[in-house]
Amino acid sequence: MPNGLQAIVLPSRRAPIVTQVVVYKVGSADETFGKTGAAHFLEHMMFKGTDKVPGGEFSRIVSRNGGRDNAYTGFDATGYHQTIAAERLELIMRMEADRMTGIRISDREIVPERQVILEERRMRTDNVPSALLDEAVREQLYGRHKPYAMPIVGYPDDIKKLSVNDLSTFYRRHYAPNNAVLIVAGDTTTEAVRKLAEKYYGPIASRKTEPRRRPSKGGPNLPQKVIRADARVVEPRWSRLWLAPSYRTGETRHAYALQVLARLFGGSETSRLWRALVVDGKVGLSAWASYSPASLGLTSFDVGVHPAPTRSMADVEKAVTTEMKRLLDGGVKPEEVERAQNQLLAGAIYAQDSLASGPRIYGTMLSTGGTVADVDAWPQRIAAVTPAEIQAAAEYVWRDDGAVTAMLTPAEGSR
Amino acid sequence: MKRLFAALLAGLALLSLPAAAGAIEIKQVTTPLGIKAWLVEDKSTPVVALSFSFVGGTASDPAGLSGATDLMANLLTDGAGPLNAQAFRQRQEDAAASIGFNASLDRVSGSLRVLSANRDEGFELLRLAMVEPRFDVAMVDQRRAQTIASLNQAAQRPASVAGRTLMATLFAGHPYAADPEGTREDLAKATPDLLKKRAAAVLLRNGLTVAAVGDISEAELARQIDRAFGSLPTGTPPALPPQWVPPTKPRTVVVERSVPQSAALMALPGIPRDDPDWYAALVMNHVLGGGGQQSRLFNEVREKRGLAYSVSSGLRTYKRAALLIISTGSANERVAEALRVIKASMARLRTEGITEQELSDAKTYLAGALALSLDSSGSIANLLHSMQVDGLSPDHLTRRGALIAAVKLEDVQKMARRLLRDDALTTVVVGKPVGVTSEP
Repeated sequence: MPNGLQAIVLPSRRAPIVTQVVVYKVGSADETFGKTGAAHFLEHMMFKGTDKVPGGEFSRIVSRNGGRDNAYTGFDATGYHQTIAAERLELIMRMEADRMTGIRISDREIVPERQVILEERRMRTDNVPSALLDEAVREQLYGRHKPYAMPIVGYPDDIKKLSVNDLSTFYRRHYAPNNAVLIVAGDTTTEAVRKLAEKYYGPIASRKTEPRRRPSKGGPNLPQKVIRADARVVEPRWSRLWLAPSYRTGETRHAYALQVLARLFGGSETSRLWRALVVDGKVGLSAWASYSPASLGLTSFDVGVHPAPTRSMADVEKAVTTEMKRLLDGGVKPEEVERAQNQLLAGAIYAQDSLASGPRIYGTMLSTGGTVADVDAWPQRIAAVTPAEIQAAAEYVWRDDGAVTAMLTPAEGSR
Repeated sequence: MKRLFAALLAGLALLSLPAAAGAIEIKQVTTPLGIKAWLVEDKSTPVVALSFSFVGGTASDPAGLSGATDLMANLLTDGAGPLNAQAFRQRQEDAAASIGFNASLDRVSGSLRVLSANRDEGFELLRLAMVEPRFDVAMVDQRRAQTIASLNQAAQRPASVAGRTLMATLFAGHPYAADPEGTREDLAKATPDLLKKRAAAVLLRNGLTVAAVGDISEAELARQIDRAFGSLPTGTPPALPPQWVPPTKPRTVVVERSVPQSAALMALPGIPRDDPDWYAALVMNHVLGGGGQQSRLFNEVREKRGLAYSVSSGLRTYKRAALLIISTGSANERVAEALRVIKASMARLRTEGITEQELSDAKTYLAGALALSLDSSGSIANLLHSMQVDGLSPDHLTRRGALIAAVKLEDVQKMARRLLRDDALTTVVVGKPVGVTSEP
């Protein structure tokens, strides 16, 4: 649109419902240390009032019209979504456009919400030993006080200090049509959405936004080992994370090969890692590999194992290293590559069977510097990956100087 | 392999065309072998989804063998007929099919999702899983170890501990009290033979309920259902447990855990799904703590006081019991206040009922909310399946609106007085709560 808003329509007439998602190209990685949690705190405040929709009414109005709504904050993006009967699309587009610039943030509403967010942090992080370990691991991998190391929900000390001014500034700086993507999926047409978008989002003026910056390097102390021994832990976990290129940062040419690598190395119960560690070696109860390239900055390639009861962390580490070496020395077979590609492509077909998946996929891609064409070309690019490219990607990413090894164990004597 | 690969790429290109229009039209299918199923034919994506279940869940675990039904259900897809676990999984992956089974208190449920072009393979693998499961010793050992680890992990999570403690407390002496995943001791006794017997006792054609959605015709579905389920035996499904007798005294159970936030659950006897006043209960629950961010509990506990991030209530129904459960999590120092606020909200609803505005808001939400779950073939199949389990007719989706519209203020008030009783309230708190102690 002329004011810079990108809009995508994904028609599907399966059920008489529509989903609207507005994704802002801002997340916790755009915060500064000392004010961590601002993006997420602001997401909460977006449900408070504007001049037209009083505090707390947004969700009530959606609900009394038979709809559901929610929001999420990530490292690179913040999204707001509603699903509602198709004929109520105008209502949710009007309200979402209204709060793009109309939120009034006051002390009266910040005070109880701060407690809510601290409870959210307790529930998701402080009560959960593995989440506390993950926080410490990201600090080593990306470097303390750096983007992706600062937790999305924020550090407790920062959450306690964030002010009306901090949140208002963050809001003005990042919430603008030219910094957002509108996605409407479901029982509607491109023409209908265009009309409504022009009516409600069209009049909102674009604003100068700052370019988003992400470091091209990881933490200063790699390789690193992080161990969390916690009295609350019963089941141990071993994992290793390597700094990895994303679609946007680093050696981006590896981004597609790494997705196929993650799938064939540890993406299912027929993967190399599962067969070697769980089925044959009985070293682990489960084993996995994962890689998410949709990130503005660097991302990570993760491998993890849940050790079998009598096996040590050293046993697990040795078994994983052996499997990695086998792949690096012997390469991958064309048929296992094709199998992994098939699984990924089938996943894309099933994604089109779900109303929620399309907006998620486009929203993630467009908020991390990608385009609609990137989403549409994904199957072809995955299908084009060769065994040699997978081996080259593994050689590039599995470097000792880019890794953090993480261990979650029961505290001494607590077992 | 190559063919599937090409087909997948071609499929993706075709899918960008607009899908055909179509509301939810439920067809009733009877197969040549006499199996009944519900079908919503939908050609908008090249997918078939099946949702089905058998009568007899974890509550029918033999005495001293808790977890057997759950373990059996997990192992059905771990090797069948000539295929070991790896080969069975590989065949699923090559057909882009996924088959899964799980056990709840009353039923063993299953699902199949497959590209319609690969439906022969998908339904054949489903048949193998149910008719010729192997229960190879190595797989039994592997899944048992994973189950025990999963029990250990649950014991680390305050919310899971609270849920387990609540069920054990409410249903003490009743089969619903046992952990569906079993205990370490009982799981040790599960042998391949025993699991085979469990499968034979539960996987019966006459205990079966089936629903299908997707790119498949009635005649083709009938053929495929007979292929998958036709050779299952008939017999007597496991008996249901006795009717639950709800507690008549309030009770509080505190489980100590070193965590900063306490997880809390409050439970009351609920209302069975076939109760004539079901919709009044649905409205009442919506106003109290259902739905999303509009409920009284959300407003009182979270918005006004910031006592919790998550607070909600829900109706749960089983074959032999029904519950109303409220859940929240609050810092150890503040959880007592959160519980007080929740009780005060319940008391106010009981004495004053709800307002006209709340009634009409709840009705419009409940009328619209069902359509929101029609998100994918799988979710529509799940809805069709649960409608059958609940004893509803296929035209329920059109009649439901009128049933909700008929609920009156006084019906909700009556329901609040019936359900929201302090004298039947069971509270479980897991953490280091300040000012909350166990009471008998």
